[in-house]
Amino acid sequence: MITEKGLWNRLRLRLLFTGPTLFAFLAVMIVPFLYGIYLTFTNWDGISTTSSLVGFQNYVSVFQDTVFWHSFLLTLEYVFITVILINIVAFLLAFVLTSGLKGQSLFRAGFFVPNLVGGIVLGFVWQFIFSNVLVYLGKEMSLPLFDASWLADPNKAFWAMIIVTVWQYAGYMMVIYVAGLMNVPKDILEAASIDGANLLTKLRKMVLPLMVPSFIVCIFLSLQRGFMVYDLNISLTKGGPYKSTEMVSMHVYEKAFLSRDYGVGQAEAFVLFLLVAIITIAQVYFSKKMEVEA
Amino acid sequence: MKTLKWMQVLALSLIVVLFVAACGKSGESESESEVKITLLNSKGEIQSQLEAAAKAFKEDNPGITLEIIPVPAGQSPFEKASALYASGNPATITMLDTGDVEKFKDRVLDLSGEKWMADAVERSTSLTTFDSKNYAFPLAIEGYGFIYNKAVVDQAVGGAFDPAAINTTEALEELFQKIEASGKAPLIVSPMDWSLGAHYLPLAYAGQSSDPAVVAQFVTDLKAGKVDLASNSVYNGLLDTFDLMAKYNIDKASPLSGTYERGPEVLGKGEVGIWFQGNWAWPQISSFDTASGQYGFLPVPISNNADDFGNTQISSAVSKRLVLDKEKNTAEQQAAAKKWLEWMVYSEKGQDFLVNQANIIPAFNNITLEAKDPLAKSISDYIAKGKTQDSMSTLPADHWAKIGASMQKYFAGAADRATLTKEIQEYWKTVK
Repeated sequence: MITEKGLWNRLRLRLLFTGPTLFAFLAVMIVPFLYGIYLTFTNWDGISTTSSLVGFQNYVSVFQDTVFWHSFLLTLEYVFITVILINIVAFLLAFVLTSGLKGQSLFRAGFFVPNLVGGIVLGFVWQFIFSNVLVYLGKEMSLPLFDASWLADPNKAFWAMIIVTVWQYAGYMMVIYVAGLMNVPKDILEAASIDGANLLTKLRKMVLPLMVPSFIVCIFLSLQRGFMVYDLNISLTKGGPYKSTEMVSMHVYEKAFLSRDYGVGQAEAFVLFLLVAIITIAQVYFSKKMEVEA
Repeated sequence: MKTLKWMQVLALSLIVVLFVAACGKSGESESESEVKITLLNSKGEIQSQLEAAAKAFKEDNPGITLEIIPVPAGQSPFEKASALYASGNPATITMLDTGDVEKFKDRVLDLSGEKWMADAVERSTSLTTFDSKNYAFPLAIEGYGFIYNKAVVDQAVGGAFDPAAINTTEALEELFQKIEASGKAPLIVSPMDWSLGAHYLPLAYAGQSSDPAVVAQFVTDLKAGKVDLASNSVYNGLLDTFDLMAKYNIDKASPLSGTYERGPEVLGKGEVGIWFQGNWAWPQISSFDTASGQYGFLPVPISNNADDFGNTQISSAVSKRLVLDKEKNTAEQQAAAKKWLEWMVYSEKGQDFLVNQANIIPAFNNITLEAKDPLAKSISDYIAKGKTQDSMSTLPADHWAKIGASMQKYFAGAADRATLTKEIQEYWKTVK
């Protein structure tokens, strides 16, 4: 079939199989994306029937919007901490749960469950825990750490978000690490044991290098989710107290829909897209170089 | 090979047909005898009452079905309404906040010729009138201030509490002290950004003068950066009162940890005497009520001179408006929507829904039903006595969030008054 002559014949066949998906992809991803870029050059407010072109003025506003850059830095900090914690916790869980523990598939399912709960619901559940349950416990047992709601203090609210994020994603990443661990060839591990390598040496010299692909995927996923955090942000802290935990996605959304500055909001979203794309592509590119063959 | 080619042609044309069919569906019209209209409801607390009213409306007008769409919690009416417009599927009737109406004026019907215009209370449509055309139906008057629990304050003052006596900041502090002496916490301040940013601080703008034109000029000057808030007596007086509130707050150990839900609970149970909130809170308070429904409003004092404007006036205004879409809805739907507006104002069932079911203070002179809920009644009393101050209802859309955050920072002690003043003035300079 592929050797069939004529461009149209070949194109027709491709269109038959990829056409529908391509159409959907173009219609819901590419067209809105391009239209969004067009909107960054207008002063549209989100509802009016007319708007005019304003050139690069919106991009100038993005670079003047100190709150945007402040929340971008805050998001970087959040992403940095959550990526490290999620992956450490997930790897340790995966390591323990592949070591032949009794009932390990039950534990695997259990740790995976938080990921099945949507971010909004999860945020409300933890909001209740942080501002009611822990405060109650703190008062009953006189623990000074918990006697006031964590969500009322800028620093603690930030850490509350990190705790919930790690809790939510560690189970998901754990599943990927479990798959990675099971794919490490048993024969080379056995050979190493015969050569007298202990557990730690095997882990460091063989398991970790062979699991680089899993790490790449997990770090990529946690990076990307960290940068795009919005649902948890809005349901757990609402950006509060006093905007101190407002992540960059939430800031962009509020700029566009609350301040009704659609053009600037869209421009900020585009700048954010570029920054996140650079960071994630760099991460994948450089970590690909660390892959090894067994 | 031949059959496969046919299959390809067939499959391709099927796909094309499917897309065309999917795109062409919106052109269909509904059957003529039955008109279906929708109402986008942004007053979440009256969703079930509205649904019941829609049923009652159908009994009176069998040809019209009214469907109530709620705005999801946490979304603003503007967001939802503009999203519906963007998708080409606006509701027939949209419930908007006063300040949003202007943005929609090119897309909604001119209602100046409606019958209820003659019965609308004074100045209730002035903020939605552009080029002498009124675009919105005033649905509800809402007011806010200090809600007191009569049982608690009666006990504190030892006898019948007279709300008119609280007309200065000093008198308010005395009351706080008396409540504290009676073994209760004086008040609770719910630290939500919307409460502090959209309700409390705007009292400083509205209190500048009893003349709306002067207030409007003050806001214009704020935008131009010509106002020095630090030396403004109303602003400082209001913040002095705020300092008192922070000092006597039941949650002062961790002022920002409170939630809205905690307010009605501690006020209703009588653990505190006073809560800064509005008459919309009645359904929540009533579910904790221990004062046999005896509650009322106190104005927020801004000075120690009882005659100053704002010390005896309660802040109130029409807060929710209905607009009718003219872009995507048919003439029949528009007519049906107009019928619904008239039904609320003039039919017995409609009035019953507004006043008794939804606890709304209507903005129409012909509705004489007396409110059952004590908070609405208290606001109505202030209105009847002419003791009101127009709430700021056309502030910029992000005012509540931005200023609310600054107020929270001040409230928690993370910023001093100079910082707060600076942030407010900086904010106004960014407003376009």
